[in-house]
Amino acid sequence: MERNPYVPIPVDVAKITTEVTTKDIKTFRFAFVNKEDEEAFAYLPGQFAELSIFGKGESPIGIASSPTDRGYVEFTVMKAGTVTSELHNMEEGTRMGIRGPLGNTWPLEYLAGKNVVLVGGGFAFTTIRSLINYMLYEENRSRFGKITVVYGAREPGLLLYKDELALWEKRDDIEMNVTVDKGDADWKGKEGFVPAICKEVAPSSENAVALICGPPIMIRFTLPEFFNLGFSKENIFTSLEMRMKCGIGKCGRCNVGSKYVCKDGPVFSLAELDALTPEY
Amino acid sequence: METRLIKKDLLAGLIKGLAQDTLVYAPVQDEDNVLFKVLEKGMEPLTEYDNTKNAPKNFFFPQQETLMRYLKKERGSELLGVPGVTAEAVLFGVRPCDARSFVLLDNIFDDPQYRDPYYVDRREKTTIISIACTRPPYTACFCTSVGGHPLSSEGVDVSLIDLGDNWLAEFVTEKGEKLMKKLGDLPKGDEQWASKKEALAEKAAGAITTKIPGKDIKPWLDENFDHPFWDTIHASCLACGTCTYLCPTCHCFDITDEIKKSDGRRVRSWDSCMYWLFTHETSGHNPRTSQKQRWRQRFMHKFKYFVDNFDAIACVGCGRCVMYCPVNIDIRKIAQDISKL
Repeated sequence: MERNPYVPIPVDVAKITTEVTTKDIKTFRFAFVNKEDEEAFAYLPGQFAELSIFGKGESPIGIASSPTDRGYVEFTVMKAGTVTSELHNMEEGTRMGIRGPLGNTWPLEYLAGKNVVLVGGGFAFTTIRSLINYMLYEENRSRFGKITVVYGAREPGLLLYKDELALWEKRDDIEMNVTVDKGDADWKGKEGFVPAICKEVAPSSENAVALICGPPIMIRFTLPEFFNLGFSKENIFTSLEMRMKCGIGKCGRCNVGSKYVCKDGPVFSLAELDALTPEY
Repeated sequence: METRLIKKDLLAGLIKGLAQDTLVYAPVQDEDNVLFKVLEKGMEPLTEYDNTKNAPKNFFFPQQETLMRYLKKERGSELLGVPGVTAEAVLFGVRPCDARSFVLLDNIFDDPQYRDPYYVDRREKTTIISIACTRPPYTACFCTSVGGHPLSSEGVDVSLIDLGDNWLAEFVTEKGEKLMKKLGDLPKGDEQWASKKEALAEKAAGAITTKIPGKDIKPWLDENFDHPFWDTIHASCLACGTCTYLCPTCHCFDITDEIKKSDGRRVRSWDSCMYWLFTHETSGHNPRTSQKQRWRQRFMHKFKYFVDNFDAIACVGCGRCVMYCPVNIDIRKIAQDISKL
């Protein structure tokens, strides 16, 4: 029988990691209660799911783990509204639900054989992290060219996935450029805003695609740098957020023009966005 | 297609007969309004009426419905169940414009990628009997401008056409033919009625005098999202949402949780793009902060976005929003004004 797309898949909170010094961003690792649900929850980087807590509601969140991580699925969530606050109060072992995977993916087919530039700002690094782990996976790495990452946060304590960042720094098959607006006494990395670091790093646009995620202000100042580097709008992708309820293109609230962010997105190229109405 | 004749004064009785062992919804008089209600013993279905105040979309997409029930536990909660399958039903007395709305809504709810089980279940189990508009009821009617026709049988299983002394019953679908067998022996409506129907169709279409540019304004809408015209339509709008609630094709909804002690349910309710909260995000950001943006969204959704996605205008020309808007905003006039730009 067809699965009812409104009924959440039962999961247990298997692990909670506090990511930042302000403690308002945590990564939740969920384990599927039923093995067959794990098989059915086949996802790719860039997709999202509705985190579903009975009695509170649902919240659409990008998937932060990679499908190459078997046995669990992870979401990095900022404490903001009703559902995410409840989530932040949860303890490991609590049962809840997820609905998904939803939406489209980072353009994996299109990225194959190309150099990939990943730009993330602040909290908007979660589905990029999924993609990095996916591309670095042993069996996948050869399908992609050079990987260049520019990731920035306001201060060192606000960087997500610090252990992984350190591991990636040590590898020679990914170029990491981690920056903070302002470092502290222990900070040995780059200082400066993401657009400036992009300019400094100056990734070649030749056979390259850039995926850019971050606060609107960061995106606004980063895009010109990429245009200057020769990236076309067809080769720059971003991921949109909108208020959502159903996540499956019916409830009508996440449209940008004739596209629904939940079903046709969340990943769009700049060329695609240009063809839509500027209301998001 | 099978056709039959039903004597004018026998129709109500046949419908009441159906209601003895089948769930039948029919238009009935309720104080000043005509509303669809479950036809119970002693109730009289109307066969001559203008149109129901509410669009019949709620039979497939109720104003509020429980999607699932759950039990809140000390830690986490447990799904108790999803409402079961619904009963076979007959929806009698739908106007052709409203019947067309089901075909449009199928695009959303019966999308093969994500089928909406609640809507699809009811839709599959319901047989729709329409009463064609041989005399279009309102000056606000404009179905012929948006792809409909007063005698259309689109979205209909059985179409009833008023021939004077008789109803011509056309059993359009398999579901309709199945219903025909339950109606007992009826005289065949042979070919002589075809020409009569044609004349009635022409007369009925001619009686709809309001013409609006439907798909003709699409090229303008494609290019003019930022046109100053959009500043001129919303000023009197109260954001009451009446237009969206009465609209046969508006399908936006909200999903909320309701919990009483440990018994909880997740509920779907109609929502409206006319409301500020509709798109308000937790971060505080709202892509549509003004009523201008919300009106543009409603109009664009019907006359551009839906056309882009499904090649049909998401408006059936029933005229409800025109008749019941408390400040007389007229979607027909907006379309006409656009065509003059």
